[in-house]
Amino acid sequence: MMSDPLIVGAVAYTPNVVPIWEGIRAYFNESDDPGAAMDFVLYSNYGRLVTSLIGGHIDIAWNTNLAYVRTVMQTNGHCIALAQRDTDVGFTTVFVARSGSGLTGPGAIAGKRLALGSADSAHAAILPLYYLARAGVPESDMQVIRFDTDIGKHGDTGRSELDAVEAVLAGEADVAAIGSSTWDAMGREELMPGTLDVVWRTDGYCHCMFTALDTLPGERYTPWVDKLLAMDWDNHEHRKILELEGLRHWVSPHLDGYKPLFAAVEEQGIDPRW
Amino acid sequence: MVIIDLMRLMGTLADGATGEITVASAAEQELAEKWCARSGNTVLTVDVDGSGAGTLTVRRGRPPDPLAVLGVDRMPGARLWMYTNFHCNLACDYCCVASSPQTPRRELGADRIARLAREAADWGVHEVFLTGGEPFLLPDIGAIVRSCAALLPTTVLTNAMVFRGRGLRELESIPRDNVALQISLDSATPHLHDAHRGQGSWTKAVAGIRLALGLGFRVRVAATVDAPAPGQLSAFHDFLDDLGIARDDQVVRPIAHEGVAEAGVVLTRASLVPEITVTADGVYWHPVAATDEDALVTRRIEPLTPALDEISRAFADQWARATSAAQLFPCA
Repeated sequence: MMSDPLIVGAVAYTPNVVPIWEGIRAYFNESDDPGAAMDFVLYSNYGRLVTSLIGGHIDIAWNTNLAYVRTVMQTNGHCIALAQRDTDVGFTTVFVARSGSGLTGPGAIAGKRLALGSADSAHAAILPLYYLARAGVPESDMQVIRFDTDIGKHGDTGRSELDAVEAVLAGEADVAAIGSSTWDAMGREELMPGTLDVVWRTDGYCHCMFTALDTLPGERYTPWVDKLLAMDWDNHEHRKILELEGLRHWVSPHLDGYKPLFAAVEEQGIDPRW
Repeated sequence: MVIIDLMRLMGTLADGATGEITVASAAEQELAEKWCARSGNTVLTVDVDGSGAGTLTVRRGRPPDPLAVLGVDRMPGARLWMYTNFHCNLACDYCCVASSPQTPRRELGADRIARLAREAADWGVHEVFLTGGEPFLLPDIGAIVRSCAALLPTTVLTNAMVFRGRGLRELESIPRDNVALQISLDSATPHLHDAHRGQGSWTKAVAGIRLALGLGFRVRVAATVDAPAPGQLSAFHDFLDDLGIARDDQVVRPIAHEGVAEAGVVLTRASLVPEITVTADGVYWHPVAATDEDALVTRRIEPLTPALDEISRAFADQWARATSAAQLFPCA
């Protein structure tokens, strides 16, 4: 271990975060390049993570899309995007209803009971309303039922989305908005035939992003980013880490994918801090 | 909805941790198994009644690769143990196979050992261990060791107390290359060793170690120790360092609750990584349980290949289904 490793912050949204980051740390610290050495710190919520990044307690934050947007807003843009997962690009929100509901397309959601995940979940609360409004269905045209069951985690636990789905299955809501990763994890149509159908799916947007302040010198983060991008799916040891974190390849930032969320945060008056 | 239950459960588990969910029907069980297979998680056990209702134990993630955990030299089939005989000049009070001067000899025989070593080498075994009883009570132990060492690295376990007369000549006849002697010594001073193994045995064992080293043998020393006192093990290692035993050849293992041992570590097939063991009575899961009927794999000794295949298959299944990983028990 170098005496001055980069400190990466992340949020502990599940116990599995610990083995994930221990694996990532081991990968960086066995490196031939001591400049890529790192350690990690886990936080209980994204608000605290962003505050710590801005306060200089950590060098890099593993941010959700909302945490990235809030970092940009709180620093007046004095931050840099470093890398993200391939699965963070082209993320979508999926609207699901009970099979046989006959609901198809955004217009069918108008006048219905829409179950949303935690209010600070970009994919299960903020962006669903944003994209529905763009499709001509403002929030005022629906009965929104919120499940704020993992506030602070920005929906990472998936718990609030499962609550929303269960509300649909119980007949307490007509449609649930969930992240495409949750829909994939549920087994999509393959394991849900006769149970849930997709009503509509939003355009793609971006999710998580490694973020640093622009005061972090390039020579500090470049070896780390290069080493991150060098993780190889075909390497057995690397693959274990990649599978745990839910990706095949780390990729360079796709900043266009955050424009919808910036717009949604402004439009919906989302607090730039918490 | 069983998939939602599974997703909620997995959110509370770290990789490798286990939990339980209930299923109400065979259809739900099937759906749970499909979801686990698709999501890279593992159904470990199924406990359902005739209607399909019951409990599934699931693990987050896939089983770890046993090769990565154990290493190639400790995978089942890497080691073959052969009990050359069961009679012994000592009657240690913790002997895991109850050997003593009165124990029936139950010799495997030099010819059969040579055939087994050949078959094992052809199958892919990496290393042979010859144990007993006291192997050096056999008049042909030299030939037995030579037949094994000609094929595979071979370790002979001994109390080193019979290296005189015929026993010494047999020892001297053994090649130094590809052979190690593993000598039992429990402590740095006579008291503890002699308390288990008999008065005067420590002095003879140490003399045997010095003799074997003087003859140019690689010597590994293995201690069987129950609840060591503070400083006991460090004194033991210091003593072995002074004798010239490499640190990697200083083995300390607990007493197993097997044979004549009245207490010790309780071992089962499920808790042990197998080290295939042949005695005159059959093929066993592990040398520490070589008289334990629960560890008996088959009475049929030859050909050995079916037993090697069976133990490998059984271990793979056990490893995939175990709620906790089997452990290595360091006999050597």
